[in-house]
Amino acid sequence: MSDTSHGTGGLTFDKTKRTWPNEMNILLALIIIVVIFEILGQILPYMNDQSFLFDSRDRFDSIFNEARLRIIILQVAIIGIIALGVTQVIITAGIDLSSGPLVAATAMIAMSFGQTELVNGFANPKALFGTWAMDLPVVVPIVVGLSFGAFIGAINGTFIAFLRIPPFIATLGMFLICRGIALWWSGGNPVSFPTESYKYIGSGMMPVVWFLSLAVIFHLIMRYTVYGKHTYAIGSNEEAARMSGINVKRHKVMVYMIASMLAAFAGVILAAKSETAQAGMGEFYELFAIAMAVIGGISLQGGRGSIIGTVLGAMVLGVIRSGFTYIKLDGSYQLMAMGSIIIAAIILDQYRQRNKA
Amino acid sequence: MKKLLITASLVAMMGSNAVAQEIGATFSRFDDNWLTVLRNGMVEHAATIDGLSYQQEDASDDLAKQIDQVKNFVASGVDAIIVNIVDTSAGAAITAAAGDTPLVYVNREPDNVNELPATQAFVASNEIESGTLSAFQICNNLRAAGKAGGATGYLMNGQLSNQAAVQRSKDVYDVIGMDMCNFMTIIDEQTANWSRDEAQDLMTNWMSSGEPFDFVLANNDEMAIGAIQAMKAAGMDMAVMQVGGVDASQDALLVMAAGDYDVTVFQDSVGQGTGSIDAALRLIAGEAVDQKVYIPFKLVTPANMGDFLAKN
Repeated sequence: MSDTSHGTGGLTFDKTKRTWPNEMNILLALIIIVVIFEILGQILPYMNDQSFLFDSRDRFDSIFNEARLRIIILQVAIIGIIALGVTQVIITAGIDLSSGPLVAATAMIAMSFGQTELVNGFANPKALFGTWAMDLPVVVPIVVGLSFGAFIGAINGTFIAFLRIPPFIATLGMFLICRGIALWWSGGNPVSFPTESYKYIGSGMMPVVWFLSLAVIFHLIMRYTVYGKHTYAIGSNEEAARMSGINVKRHKVMVYMIASMLAAFAGVILAAKSETAQAGMGEFYELFAIAMAVIGGISLQGGRGSIIGTVLGAMVLGVIRSGFTYIKLDGSYQLMAMGSIIIAAIILDQYRQRNKA
Repeated sequence: MKKLLITASLVAMMGSNAVAQEIGATFSRFDDNWLTVLRNGMVEHAATIDGLSYQQEDASDDLAKQIDQVKNFVASGVDAIIVNIVDTSAGAAITAAAGDTPLVYVNREPDNVNELPATQAFVASNEIESGTLSAFQICNNLRAAGKAGGATGYLMNGQLSNQAAVQRSKDVYDVIGMDMCNFMTIIDEQTANWSRDEAQDLMTNWMSSGEPFDFVLANNDEMAIGAIQAMKAAGMDMAVMQVGGVDASQDALLVMAAGDYDVTVFQDSVGQGTGSIDAALRLIAGEAVDQKVYIPFKLVTPANMGDFLAKN
């Protein structure tokens, strides 16, 4: 472990074995993947020497292909917000499988309070409630969404901390419950046409702004506050944390609540970005959020991992997804390649951990 | 006294069972937009029929689950079953699972449609029409815009495991294979899983290559809308861009009303939904039914979109 402020994950800190931080490895991997795509762009005959990251067609003022840089991070920003919460949960040695369906349920609920009454002069055909719920200020869908997330997180946390149900089972149950809520809310119908102000919070690069601001906030919280230190402590050794006076149960409930509120916020933003909420949204989001954390070097045993790692993990997935479209790789191969990369990340990480211990 | 009450209520329940009719329905997906319109229409239609109890289940795109649902319906003694089949090549398995219980296939055509027993029927649209109508109209529009010398574009697939998606994409290639439309070239095709937000990201990824293009064809409206949102965000002129999809959902028609969307295809949910329930009731009553009912798709463009605004 390079940094004593993080948990030790069962390893004793030894200055002689100090290596560069784990995050540097992920950054290196990120650069290597970019270079691979650049090379593929040069050698694949159908690519016409088009560059992956650089402005090879002279469309922008900078040397980079700005459109590519933007989409790389934009397409992982919303799942990235979920991953910030999942990271905290996994650091406590837990897991949260309910986030994908929670995104869908929250999107449906929040959008019901964020609809506009008139669309291009037509009455909103997807209006769920009466006029009282139309054209409300944007703060309403946000607060409703976050409250719903907090409620679901509190249930998750209570079952896990107080009723001692394994996190995998408790959140798997919640996974199904939330998907059910999403389908039940409007009987499977989409809820569409948000107000201008609601649209705005998910438009353009706004998802990225939310993702990066939340990442900075939670990086500081995890690193410098009691909340963060207790989270790492519980994941490293729950018994020791309890002995040293940490209210483990209450803390766990808090962690699950924060994670679910982040997932709920992702749902609020996703609905704004898509300008619609649909029951099938957020499919596999929970797994991609976990994958971001895992690529970012988190340990599923708890106690180890960081927000910066997860952000870099998200970037890796973003680069891969963009790169596959860039080299026109078929969707079925994309899934296979992405799966292989996730497994490779874990193998590399284990190898590194073994060498250190 | 208690025993008497229980017996009485049991008798009452059996009595009501004898007169009432029960229909069980299974749908390939509950979260599919168009199927939801179909489902809700069927619930409404069923509610208008006296003594009909109507129940529907979600097969979550899982054929094995759907076959079990049909068997469960048979086991619980429903009078008829309606199936929106997950996999159209599995008609024989579903038909066998229903046994003697009347069964109506809705919306999707099973491969055994010509060998259905007398107790079974089929009400749907011919899926081959939808993708073809949409792509052919885009071809016409491109010609009208003077691009018959060559036009390039992108194709967005629905879920790769879904047959309607595979069929609609194949239709696009069939249209492009025609002499009249062979000036169209697909630069790349990828899946956006029927979803609007995935389509936004995919379209933005495509645009980041800077390759010029003239059209986007999508297997459904949601992906077409996502593509349009992404292109507008990138400042493209939607008046010259040709975008085609399938479904004629209300969301899509309002995008069309704004002048951003060019072609979609209307699939008649009311016709299919009421048609399937009525066919089931006739089968229960032992009346003769038309075993194969095709309800046509209709092309929707800005010129006739007003006719469809209140329909799906």
